[in-house]
Amino acid sequence: MSETICAIATPPGRGGIGIVRISGPACRNVAQTLLGNVPPPRSATHSDFCTTEGEILDSGIALYFPSPASYTGEDVLELQGHGSPVALDRIVGYLLEQDVRLANPGEFTERAFRNDKLDLAQAEAVADLIASGSAEAARAATRSLSGEFSRRVRELDQGVLMLRIFIESAIDFAEEEIDFLGDQEQQKQLAEMQALVESLIERSSAGLTMQLGLDVAIAGDPNVGKSSLLNQLLGEDRAIVTATAGTTRDTLHGELSIDGLPVRLTDTAGLRESDDPIEVMGMERAEAALEQADCVLWVVDDEDVNAAVPEAYQTKALTVSNKCDLTGREPGAVNDKVFRTCALTGAGLDELREGLKGVAGFRSGIDAFAGRPRHIASLKRTHNALVTAANELSALQGELVAENLRVAHECLGEIVGVTTSDDLLGEIFATFCIGK
Amino acid sequence: MKYPTAFDVIVIGGGHAGVEAALASARVGASTLLLTQAIETIGQMSCNPAIGGIGKSHLVREIDALGGTMAIAADQAGIHFRTLNNSKGPAVRATRAQADRVLYRNAIRQVVERQPNLTIYQDMMVDLTLKSDRIVSVSTRLGMEIEGGAVVLTTGTFLGGRIFVGSEQHTGGRAGDPASLELSEKLRTLPLAAGRLKTGTPPRIDGSSVDFTKLEEQPGDEPRPVMSFLSSSDVHPRQISCHITHTNPQTHEVIRRGLDRSPMFSGDIEGVGPRYCPSIEDKIVRFAERDQHQIFVEPEGLQTTELYPNGISTSLSFDIQYEAVRTIRGFENAHITRPGYAIEYDFFDPRGLMPSLETKSIENLFFAGQINGTTGYEEAAAQGLVAGLNAARKVAGQTAWVPQRHEAYIGVLIDDLTTMGANEPYRMFTSRAEYRLRLRQDNADLRLTPVGRELGLVTEDRFKTFVARRDRLDKCNSVLAGTTVYLNSDLANKLSKETGEAISRDVSLLDFAKRPGVRAEHLTASGVFTDKDEAYLVQALIDVKYQGYLRRQDQAIERSKEQMGIKLPIDMEFEGIDGLSNELREKLEKVRPSTLGKAASIPGMTPAALSLLSVHAKRHSGLRKTA
Ligand SMILES: Cc1cc2nc3c(=O)[nH]c(=O)nc-3n(C[C@H](O)[C@H](O)[C@H](O)COP(=O)(O)OP(=O)(O)OC[C@H]3O[C@@H](n4cnc5c(N)ncnc54)[C@H](O)[C@@H]3O)c2cc1C
Ligand SMILES: Nc1nc2c(ncn2[C@@H]2O[C@H](COP(=O)(O)OP(=O)(O)OP(=O)(O)O)[C@@H](O)[C@H]2O)c(=O)[nH]1
Ligand SMILES: [Mg+2]
Repeated sequence: MSETICAIATPPGRGGIGIVRISGPACRNVAQTLLGNVPPPRSATHSDFCTTEGEILDSGIALYFPSPASYTGEDVLELQGHGSPVALDRIVGYLLEQDVRLANPGEFTERAFRNDKLDLAQAEAVADLIASGSAEAARAATRSLSGEFSRRVRELDQGVLMLRIFIESAIDFAEEEIDFLGDQEQQKQLAEMQALVESLIERSSAGLTMQLGLDVAIAGDPNVGKSSLLNQLLGEDRAIVTATAGTTRDTLHGELSIDGLPVRLTDTAGLRESDDPIEVMGMERAEAALEQADCVLWVVDDEDVNAAVPEAYQTKALTVSNKCDLTGREPGAVNDKVFRTCALTGAGLDELREGLKGVAGFRSGIDAFAGRPRHIASLKRTHNALVTAANELSALQGELVAENLRVAHECLGEIVGVTTSDDLLGEIFATFCIGK
Repeated sequence: MKYPTAFDVIVIGGGHAGVEAALASARVGASTLLLTQAIETIGQMSCNPAIGGIGKSHLVREIDALGGTMAIAADQAGIHFRTLNNSKGPAVRATRAQADRVLYRNAIRQVVERQPNLTIYQDMMVDLTLKSDRIVSVSTRLGMEIEGGAVVLTTGTFLGGRIFVGSEQHTGGRAGDPASLELSEKLRTLPLAAGRLKTGTPPRIDGSSVDFTKLEEQPGDEPRPVMSFLSSSDVHPRQISCHITHTNPQTHEVIRRGLDRSPMFSGDIEGVGPRYCPSIEDKIVRFAERDQHQIFVEPEGLQTTELYPNGISTSLSFDIQYEAVRTIRGFENAHITRPGYAIEYDFFDPRGLMPSLETKSIENLFFAGQINGTTGYEEAAAQGLVAGLNAARKVAGQTAWVPQRHEAYIGVLIDDLTTMGANEPYRMFTSRAEYRLRLRQDNADLRLTPVGRELGLVTEDRFKTFVARRDRLDKCNSVLAGTTVYLNSDLANKLSKETGEAISRDVSLLDFAKRPGVRAEHLTASGVFTDKDEAYLVQALIDVKYQGYLRRQDQAIERSKEQMGIKLPIDMEFEGIDGLSNELREKLEKVRPSTLGKAASIPGMTPAALSLLSVHAKRHSGLRKTA
């Protein structure tokens, strides 16, 4: 029986929908946990995508294709969600906890091919596809070869190797008067490596958002200056601005780049009670845009002391307290979630832009790596293995410490290339005087 | 002259590989000839008088589980037993036995002589005859031509063997035995990749000239472990101690003075020696900062005073050996009975072998043991068993059997050899096994005896003993799974008291047993099991506690199996595959892996490159079908 794989099947970035495709024997189990049931074959079913703890990751259409009548020839489950990269990432992240692993480049097609779902001509195309994927990966690798990322991963790889040298020689050469188990030094090294992986994960996740960008919706009561803010951020007169409340009806889009971070802005209709059918439709669109967004700029009037972000958006909202020229208060960051601005002059917008970068995971002092989802997945598994290794070390379980370090090394090997057991032994012999 | 009978399988060499090969072949029903230079040296230990050790005793247990003879002989000859790595976990726990050389040889010889289907004949093989690319007979020094269906060569350190002591050198297979020179020359005319390796041995010392009061005594362990699943410590002969001493700065000084006449440093020896088994002169040069090295002083046997000083293997001149030995504490008046020496010999690149250990270039010719670039009795015996079995199966028209990496250390050994080759003498270490947690000494029989029985290697008696053991183990497991510990019950109270683990709700005994504080003796003390179950419970608990790890490894095995399954065509053109780095392409060209699994073990291999290979492999086979 083969492993179950998953991948985001829609191109990185935006789209109305985002598809996560899963192939392999665990599909039925995944459907059971995520959807609560296995949907009827080949028919679109609307459902929440839910963790076992009841947390809703996204909702959308689920499609189930039992083997052999599927693209890969295996059981296939397709989840079509809202398409925000953050939501897709959360779904994939959850799947990775469920005995599902990330697919290699072209692996779905490769499986289809192996299960005789493709003819020879198609197969040729697949090979080329994978080749270009890995050529690109190779280019990316050489690019980062000289770069920070791979230097750091190699450093980590080296650190794990050093620890393994000690642990494995204590095991394989027990009579050689080398015994490092229970040594404080190793706990310390493990802790250092954990911290290193954590920062690598953080930096490469930031790098990923940097590639994919951020979806930002501007919302709030009518007439607070949302459209003015859009225009000011875009540096052009995109939206109509008037003193009349309810000017903006339909959603409006614009794109900008903040120090290389792609940001897609959506201006929405002000939210209020209304009988006007056009305005009501506009507000429905506004709400949909708010749902999808990675981040909401909730605009309020700086004079309005009762203004508050609605419950539903609190976790992903930044408050923009606009028209501060009228209150005379100082523009700028009040804290990292509240900004005071004047959309007419642009005062306070530099700070707001910094705030958006923070949402994307660039905190000052962090430089992001061009992280790829595969790298991040490998690093996360490395981290788990290091944490377990530390626990087993406290329990003095020598061979289990060794096993976890082996797994950690293997995960890092997925990024920088494998270290074989023979390489390891070579290092041991170079380090210690071993042998009778 | 033609030898009067022909054989299914002819095994050349009565060392550790040859013995297991001949026995395995005969056991599965092939008429087998063991042809060896000297019947007296069947089962001879060329070097240190010990069987087992970390990684090695794992092999011995597997050989035993497959009906081999090494473990039983070690039990009958073992005069000092130790359990190694006791505290580091059950998977890396190992057994080592000092063996009385004479008792060991006798034990082996007895088994070989009593084996049905097995004929022993003393002579030296000098030549072989091929028909097209298939071996059909071997010829001996006395002019005998013996026909055989298949031939297993296990000539150890004898092929082109050359012995060095300082600047003195002569040919030899090991001290006291002649080298195999004609055969070496003959084999070099065949399409096989020959190379040279070297190893060495320490001087032996007369124990009556040693002051033991100055040495640290190291008694064997109690309770005394056994090697074979069939043995009990009752079969062990009288037990004696080993001793420990050390070299010192003065020793190192003497050795440094002798380096100029060492064949290793003068360049007389070109063969590569094992890094994990360096000579004392090597250690002193490479680790100059160390001012002492440990020496285990091991008895050679019960009936002799000769000692084996483990740790000072050397090929320095005799005068230096003599002087250096006498600087060592306890050895001040030591008499050397035999000088240490280095030996250089031919081996053949094991990448020229199929996993069955049949050579790729000559049909029905099998190689096992040191000739494949390994070192060690256990490594030799393991290969011997596999080669003997597969030679017999080949002749009988059956497919080869080779264990996989996740099934046995034997599988790791064979896979490593046939994919990576041997840049230096290959020795087993537990770190070579990525599935180490499941390849334990305690479960070797569970892993291998059933298949050994199917193959015909395991006798009915051994199988019955095994089944009885397995049943007891199964029973323990089902009691563990089937017992519920109810909150506040008598059992719960007893268990909490024994283990110190709190029980706050109803829990199955199995789940309870997963907790770190729970040990087998707690479960017997609480009355669920009897004392007789304890040994079985100990084993059951290992699997219980390792369940999470084992399950994760199961997944890894599935993954590698899938890859293993994909065959790469022998004429695959790596040049034409876009997206492979030049470095990988070169490595692939060199190794020419037969399966994707083998490709995966190449250093630096990436998942993307593997995908590429698998697609190209299939495309390749598809093209050929349509062509
Ligand atoms: C000096 C020395 C030092 C060693 N040091 C170590 C060490 O430190 N650690 C370690 O693990 N191992 C060591 N070994 C290796 C260990 O002895 C071998 O690995 C092991 O014995 C190999 O087993 P084998 O069956 O392959 O060959 P061997 O045990 O060498 O047996 C070869 C057999 O083949 C027979 N034979 C050879 N040629 C012919 C022929 N043409 N016709 C008929 N019969 C033939 C011989 O008589 C012999 O019976 C050492 C060996 C030597 C000689
Ligand atoms: N003094 C001052 N006036 C502002 C500021 N921002 C916007 N305005 C004015 O407020 C009025 C409303 O601005 P809009 O940008 O249209 O407001 P809106 O939130 O998009 O309004 P709706 O689209 O109607 O919901 C206009 O007259 C703007 O010129 C500001 O920072 N200071
Ligand atoms: Mg507006």
